[in-house]
Amino acid sequence: MNGAAFHWTVAALVAAFLAAPSLVVLGASFTTGTIVQFPPDGFSLRWYGDVLAARELRGALARSLWVAVVCTALAVPAGTLAALALARWRFRRAAAIQLYLLLPFTIPLIGSGIGLMLLFGELRLLGSVWPVGLAACIINLPFMIWAVAASVNALDPELERAAANCGAGPAQTYLLVVLPAILPGVMAGALLMFILALNEFLVSLLLVDARTVTLPVQIYNSIRSILTPDLAAVSTIYVLIAAVAILILDRVVGLDLFLKSK
Amino acid sequence: MKPDGARSALRVGRPSRAAYPLSWRALDAAEALVALWPDRWSGAVKWLFLAPALLIVGFLLWGLGVMADASLREMDFSTYRLTDERSLANFAKASGSAAFWATARRSLLAALIVTAICLILAFPYAYAMTRTRSAALRKLLLIGLFLPFFIGQVVRAYGWLILLGQQGLVNDALGTLGLGPYRMLFSYPAVLFGLVQYMLPFAVLMLAPALAAVPEEVERAAESCGAAWPRVLRHVVIPMARPGLIAAALVVSTLTLTDFAMPAIMGGGGADFLANLVYDQFFRTSDAGLGSAITLILTLLGTTVAGVLLAFAGASALGVRSAR
Repeated sequence: MNGAAFHWTVAALVAAFLAAPSLVVLGASFTTGTIVQFPPDGFSLRWYGDVLAARELRGALARSLWVAVVCTALAVPAGTLAALALARWRFRRAAAIQLYLLLPFTIPLIGSGIGLMLLFGELRLLGSVWPVGLAACIINLPFMIWAVAASVNALDPELERAAANCGAGPAQTYLLVVLPAILPGVMAGALLMFILALNEFLVSLLLVDARTVTLPVQIYNSIRSILTPDLAAVSTIYVLIAAVAILILDRVVGLDLFLKSK
Repeated sequence: MKPDGARSALRVGRPSRAAYPLSWRALDAAEALVALWPDRWSGAVKWLFLAPALLIVGFLLWGLGVMADASLREMDFSTYRLTDERSLANFAKASGSAAFWATARRSLLAALIVTAICLILAFPYAYAMTRTRSAALRKLLLIGLFLPFFIGQVVRAYGWLILLGQQGLVNDALGTLGLGPYRMLFSYPAVLFGLVQYMLPFAVLMLAPALAAVPEEVERAAESCGAAWPRVLRHVVIPMARPGLIAAALVVSTLTLTDFAMPAIMGGGGADFLANLVYDQFFRTSDAGLGSAITLILTLLGTTVAGVLLAFAGASALGVRSAR
């Protein structure tokens, strides 16, 4: 066996391993029976109808979407401005600031989750849905900064000077020149934040109660008791959203971006 | 802002500003608003840009502060409130508990095993992805990577529950061969299995840029000097891709060490990690003090490992090039 054959064999097996659970969930959602199984027993959309009728699942999905919207709305301006500031101005403690902004990645999720749970408890924020969105924004913010930074680095600073030369004030320069130029990065970051917030599980689990359950927590609570096909149907939403997100990401920035060394 | 003389000269003969398009007037208003910022405060503008992000991360530090404070107070089980006096009693309780050490050992061993398997599996995948000449094949491998990355841990664990259960596809297939059924779920190996699948995309994404940076010519040169591919791999590719290997190892090991969902779903209560122990302290025994202490230990452990990663990657890990 030569080298190429070896690594292609392993790569193919790994690809199958990676795809397996998503395909199983997708397939099992179409079963006609009442027991969740793969391959499915026949083909029907009855469980999708059940999901639309189930108030609990619909409510959890709506709350998860709201969490994702809050998270994205907070992260996009904060992350974009921070990436611009770090790339455009010299800070005396630039390295320390970057380390500080990376804290959400270096602190384990359980640590962030428990800390925010105790803090939100003291601030009496538990019991509403929007603090979960704020928490999702806090723990994923470096992704947003990182996505925008890639675009800001590629932007020629001369462009801003040229705009100023043509008589544009600072507001005009930023709104009509800089923002359109970094838009791909901003969009990629917004997409990442939205998807990550929609999938956010551990921190949500710590922050929600029975009335504010988000979709991943609802699925988690249900699969611990009984496996029913309606959960497979609602999980399919995640597979679909992931597929759409990859399509958009590929269009906007190109997936190859992730293969480039910094 | 420009001196007003030039502007008013331009305006001569124009009927009224109201005739301007709305977008122009909006931009003029924005400029006027920006001009209100005093010149002597221009040095503060960069901090104004940075402030929202600093504030958002500040919540995290504040939360950790609250947690550190709670870890120093003992839970009084007669009133279910934390005591006012501060002591290290919770840390003593944690380090004196056999359950804590057993769980810590289990988490650390998992981090080691999962990291080793992930590196072995991720390396060929990343190598194939960066070396293929077919753009379509590369895209396919990238999609195969991002699809699970964008589907949360809970949904993926759910897929495994369906596939590996008593009536699942795997047991059915074994059944036709006259084997089984085997009880594959709710065990330590099942947790490791789920974790490897969860961590693989992270490992590949950390490895791929490092492998892309190894010039193919170097490999060809080694081959033309007579080295067979295992030797090229061992003496050329792996040493040159070492930063990526280290980064992948540290990301996978910290995420595994602190994982909650896989042990909770695939372990069935018998293969808990430290994060599950923390959860139980808060939601089963209601001991917020002890729970905070264990979380703090775990946070320090994880942050130390991540800090080592950052030291390797340099402060540019956020991807921001230093200011011009």
